[in-house]
Amino acid sequence: MIRHFMHTYLPFASNELKRNLAYKGAFYLFIVCDLMEVFISYYLWMAIYQSSGKGTLGGLSKNEMVVYVIMVFITSTIIMQSISRTVSRDVVKGNIAMTLIKPVDYRISLISGQVGNLIYHFIVPSLFVWIFLEVYKVTVLGEPLVSPGRAALYLISICLSFLIYVLFDFCFGMVAFFTTYIFGLSMAKEVLLSFLTGRLIPISFFPEAFRKVFEYLPFESMVYSPVMIYLGKYSVRETLFVIGRQAAWVIILYLLGSFIWKKVTNRLIVLGG
Amino acid sequence: MIEVKSISKEFISPKKYPGLKGAVKGLFSTEKVKKLAVDDISFSIADGEIVGYIGSNGAGKSTTIKMMTGILRPTRGECLIDGINPATDRMANAARIGVVFGQRTQLWWDLPLSESYTILKEIYNVSDEDYKKQLAFLNETLGLEEFFDKTVRTLSLGQRMRADLGAALIHNPKVLYLDEPTIGLDLVVKDKIREAIHEINQKYKTTVILTTHDIEDIEKLCSRIIVIDKGRKIYDGTLADLKETYGTTRKISIKTEDFPGIGKVRAALSSSLNNGNKEPVGDNELELNFNPDESRLEISFDKNHVEVSDVISSLIRIITVKDIKIQETELASIVKDIYNHNLGANGPEGGGR
Ligand SMILES: Nc1ncnc2c1ncn2[C@@H]1O[C@H](COP(=O)(O)OP(=O)(O)OP(=O)(O)O)[C@@H](O)[C@H]1O
Ligand SMILES: [Mg+2]
Repeated sequence: MIRHFMHTYLPFASNELKRNLAYKGAFYLFIVCDLMEVFISYYLWMAIYQSSGKGTLGGLSKNEMVVYVIMVFITSTIIMQSISRTVSRDVVKGNIAMTLIKPVDYRISLISGQVGNLIYHFIVPSLFVWIFLEVYKVTVLGEPLVSPGRAALYLISICLSFLIYVLFDFCFGMVAFFTTYIFGLSMAKEVLLSFLTGRLIPISFFPEAFRKVFEYLPFESMVYSPVMIYLGKYSVRETLFVIGRQAAWVIILYLLGSFIWKKVTNRLIVLGG
Repeated sequence: MIEVKSISKEFISPKKYPGLKGAVKGLFSTEKVKKLAVDDISFSIADGEIVGYIGSNGAGKSTTIKMMTGILRPTRGECLIDGINPATDRMANAARIGVVFGQRTQLWWDLPLSESYTILKEIYNVSDEDYKKQLAFLNETLGLEEFFDKTVRTLSLGQRMRADLGAALIHNPKVLYLDEPTIGLDLVVKDKIREAIHEINQKYKTTVILTTHDIEDIEKLCSRIIVIDKGRKIYDGTLADLKETYGTTRKISIKTEDFPGIGKVRAALSSSLNNGNKEPVGDNELELNFNPDESRLEISFDKNHVEVSDVISSLIRIITVKDIKIQETELASIVKDIYNHNLGANGPEGGGR
């Protein structure tokens, strides 16, 4: 059963991996752009700390903010593997038919493909940036290395983050079936996500009322939670709660996706041909 | 055994208005346009048949195939493929079928063909042994070797089509759906594809459903054809029956020397044919044409009214015959007539299967 599952979906992952290796030129350009973003973010925060004159802001010390900025970059590079773009392209061009003629689940095949991307992005550039961060932490900031236990918890947490992100993005991509055009919506989603996941500003900087609302949304679980785990901001009990909440979101979004998929296939329209 | 039970597909799309003003209007309008692409079609196909599914552009062929393969859900009716309903049990059905959509590819664009095949092997859970056997067979019939290591993106159309047909057959499916598998191919590749389809059908008793606009595909492959028009079935029967019913025109073409002129030949021919005949042959039942460049005389008539042998024996007495050719009605022109509704309305429905 599990073996058959792996047999069926592993090729989607390895295919994506190979594709990435074939197009690495374009990808390096993206990395450079993203790293620029990290530098800007870094200098911005340093300036904010400088001018505020305070040691900690939003519960993060200056050193912790350095780690936060870089870990947010690493986490989002690893987990944010968009499938809604593929979904909408498949729908608009009718390519979805070529998956539907095969004995595979469309959603799982897409997610498997993104596992391939995840592995690739985990290695390039994330692993290198991570090593750089730890070296920097020890040598320049004079902080201790991250403990193996915490690193392991972080890794578990980002696996769940990945699932939350892709499952959410699948639901989002389903909008494509109704609009057959989601470019504009995609832009709006990106902007919203950068706020709600804590990518732009740590969630702890938001007013209490907002944070209460965020707790009932899946976005915090995507980026903010694993990074806070990595920073050691949670007690053991809190960590377990946060990871449990992530698992709950995986289940909820999975079921939601199944529900939408059922609704959509009833009126699925394959264009062209 | 494939059973299609009065399936219909209605497409509902938002109404579009022309121009920029129209686009804005479209945003707020809830008006819908309905299009009945497939209208109450039923047929059944036995195992091992090769059926040509034909009709003019937009007749609803692809839509039917999509419903049979589980990509689209019928608005009404259902089809059962060996008892499996693809609309509710897509995956179970998909494991047992092969599909080629001529205008698309199911291969992985960025990978070498060989890798696409390995992926498919895994997806369909084909054993190493079966895979090896099937690959050898496909290599032989489709000549995949030439381009087996090339990236799919770089294949020519003909190569890609062969590769796609092979891909649809890796798991040795029970039913093969081919939607325009010879579109845009040269004659040699077309022949190769046809041979492969024929061979697979012979070897594995694979059921094949084929849509095409190429009459030769039908003539070379299909024993049975289903013709649809505007979503409705208008003919279902054997190719021989179709020709028997509609293709009764014969054309005799004779190469001759010292041609005496159309008028003289016609007069002599009529009198010879009517000699002792109870039902006289009218002048308009014989169509005569003379091509002076090739010095060829062509006579067309309906074989149910005039005996071919009578015409020939008469002609031999009238002119010197150097060479003679008898032609049946071409299937292409029968089909063209059906599409143009010259025959369809009063033709047999033949839906007795
Ligand atoms: N997604 C869709 N939305 C609205 N109308 C559609 C859609 N898909 C197909 N149609 C319409 O349904 C009809 C049948 O289309 P279909 O693709 O089945 O034709 P076909 O017989 O395959 O034609 P061709 O020989 O040109 O491929 C056409 O009139 C087409 O415009
Ligand atoms: Mg078509």
